[in-house]
Amino acid sequence: MSGSLLQVLSLYTPYLSLSYLQALVPPVIDTIGLALGAMFIAFALSVPVAIADALKLPGARLVLLALTAFRSIPELTLAIFCVILFGVGPGAGLVALALYYAAATTRMFSDIVRTAPSGPLDALRATGASRLQIALFGLLPLTQADLLTYGAYEFESALRASIVVGAVGGGGLGSELVGSIAVLDFHRVATQILVLVAVIAAFDALAVQLRRHPRWLLLTAPFGLVAVVAYSPRLLAFDHAMDVFSQMLPPEITSDGLAHLPERLLETLWMALAGTGGAVVVAMVAGPASARNLAPAWLAIPLRRLMELLRTVPEIVWGLILILMVGVGPTAGAWALGLHSAGSLSRLFAESLENAPRRPQAAIAQTGASPLQVFAFATAPLALGPIAAHAVFRLEWNLRMATVLGLIGAGGIGQALYEAQQLMFYRQMVAYILITWALIAPLEQLGQSFRQRRGLLRAAVA
Amino acid sequence: MTAPESAALPPGDAGRLLTVSSLSVALKPGAAPIIAGLDLAIEAGETVALIGPSGAGKTTLLRALGGQIRPSAGAIVFNGAPLSTLSGRRLRETRRLIGFVAQKHDLVEPLRVHRNVMAGALGRWSDLRALRYMFWATASELAEARRALDAVGLAEKLKEPTSALSGGEQQRVAIARALVQAPRLLLADEPVASLDPTTAAEVLDLLTRLCREHDMALVCSLHQPDLAQRFFGRILELQGGRLVRDGAGATPPSAHDPGRA
Repeated sequence: MSGSLLQVLSLYTPYLSLSYLQALVPPVIDTIGLALGAMFIAFALSVPVAIADALKLPGARLVLLALTAFRSIPELTLAIFCVILFGVGPGAGLVALALYYAAATTRMFSDIVRTAPSGPLDALRATGASRLQIALFGLLPLTQADLLTYGAYEFESALRASIVVGAVGGGGLGSELVGSIAVLDFHRVATQILVLVAVIAAFDALAVQLRRHPRWLLLTAPFGLVAVVAYSPRLLAFDHAMDVFSQMLPPEITSDGLAHLPERLLETLWMALAGTGGAVVVAMVAGPASARNLAPAWLAIPLRRLMELLRTVPEIVWGLILILMVGVGPTAGAWALGLHSAGSLSRLFAESLENAPRRPQAAIAQTGASPLQVFAFATAPLALGPIAAHAVFRLEWNLRMATVLGLIGAGGIGQALYEAQQLMFYRQMVAYILITWALIAPLEQLGQSFRQRRGLLRAAVA
Repeated sequence: MTAPESAALPPGDAGRLLTVSSLSVALKPGAAPIIAGLDLAIEAGETVALIGPSGAGKTTLLRALGGQIRPSAGAIVFNGAPLSTLSGRRLRETRRLIGFVAQKHDLVEPLRVHRNVMAGALGRWSDLRALRYMFWATASELAEARRALDAVGLAEKLKEPTSALSGGEQQRVAIARALVQAPRLLLADEPVASLDPTTAAEVLDLLTRLCREHDMALVCSLHQPDLAQRFFGRILELQGGRLVRDGAGATPPSAHDPGRA
């Protein structure tokens, strides 16, 4: 593969003129602004909904279910839908991202709020406090640390999604990237990928700080509000939007599409399974080898950096590079998912091993056990639960992402969806959206019940 | 009640299990010491209760005796070996002779009970045998685990998940693990603090009885002076990192409790 790697790299000599770099500033600002605006809307929607649900206000459960249903639609699919309704531009991107993150945060927030310790709440109820008072004096203070911690995790994920959403015309760096790919200008593509990796790395660094000081997340709220105002879609073409919407119904699928459906579903499934499986195998080795409490620093630190590099490049960017190396198709997709997930899971596995409770490990060490025996009898079994939760969560994530990768030619149901949109066969497109949803939703439900049964809801936050 | 004895070492320590001299422990270099200039001698087979208010340094002393933290000054000589200066393999080999039972959170909850119990044997096992046992336990290994569990009255829990046990049962499993380890000295850090009074008395009775039967010395920290009186041969009281009392408990000294009273 080294020969083709060199060829690919020579195609990707970055174009680095100052004026071009300056021209990339506005799309970068758009990408960051979309992420902040979407997070703002998501928080503003999901915190009240989660609390209303926990207080059993009438109708709250219905709103919650409606919001979380969007969770199983990949952000890219939502973006395609919004671009069609609102037109190309950041307005469509904002709505798509906001819906997607509102769904994700609502689900997680409702879990956090519902698992709040009941003792203090019962004590409040006993004082005769109203529901609003219980929320203000009980639920919010009891859960705010978890809410903010989870919000800090979503922060960097929102930026990645903002790039993906841009790729279908949602504005920002993603739109620029897809534009350059369309005209085969790989030198500009390389520049954009470099800028993108730099922006994501900066966001990652910021997110690390945020996780240490979750309260700082509140400081992003004013910027989010500004972004919401700046990017809200103009509804001048409301009639047009409704007109397009009516063309989307009822969904239909051609006999040809139906004949290819099993093959496409299998491609998507294979992509997700192979990518996740490969990443788990890599992370099983790289995770322990980069855990601070298990591996020597000379091994752990460089390995950590390497895995961070894999993780920093979003799946869709890996896909772009790999498609040029191994050709169009699900193999490139599986590699793209695998490389990004390997980086991501290695870090999570290492963290799970580092965070394993200390005292049982000390107790096993006290029996005179060797370091390997302490690992086998204490560290590994203690970390296995969180590690399994991370792997299952990554599989769900990758199934969604596998449909997204269809956009760049990785095949599967995602490609069929994207082609239908490009050809403006909107009724077919809606059919594929529904099929995607039917594929993803049950797996998510399974994953959710797995985490609930193991008491690992919070472990999957990352 | 006997008057506080001098804690100074008597001359001639042949056969002595543990000798602590001028021990000081600070958790961070330069910080105020938790244990300040403590002298102590413990004979083989003694049952010693360690009492004192919260923050007196009971846990720190036990962890230092177990070789889990290094003293900042002074020496700990265990079974003729200078524990406070050992490291690596020598430290592991010595630790094997010192068991530890903590207040709680001491067991590896995701493992089955027999694996927690047989973890006591790890100091004698090769890495290969430990890994094999993780996946496949021989009949004789299971029998050994059952014997240890039988001694604490939990033989029927052999293959249960550890997380399914109650607090009192988990403490007994920790004791069974110590039995498999068969140390010369067992350190117990408030083993009954999270248990109700009846269970606490049962666990202490079991612990002191098994230690006498198996010729293990026991140093056990406690909050309840009455329980210390009832079950132990010797009572040490710690305050501000110093021993303020060293006297006999109500339990008559056994063959291995050299007359301290």
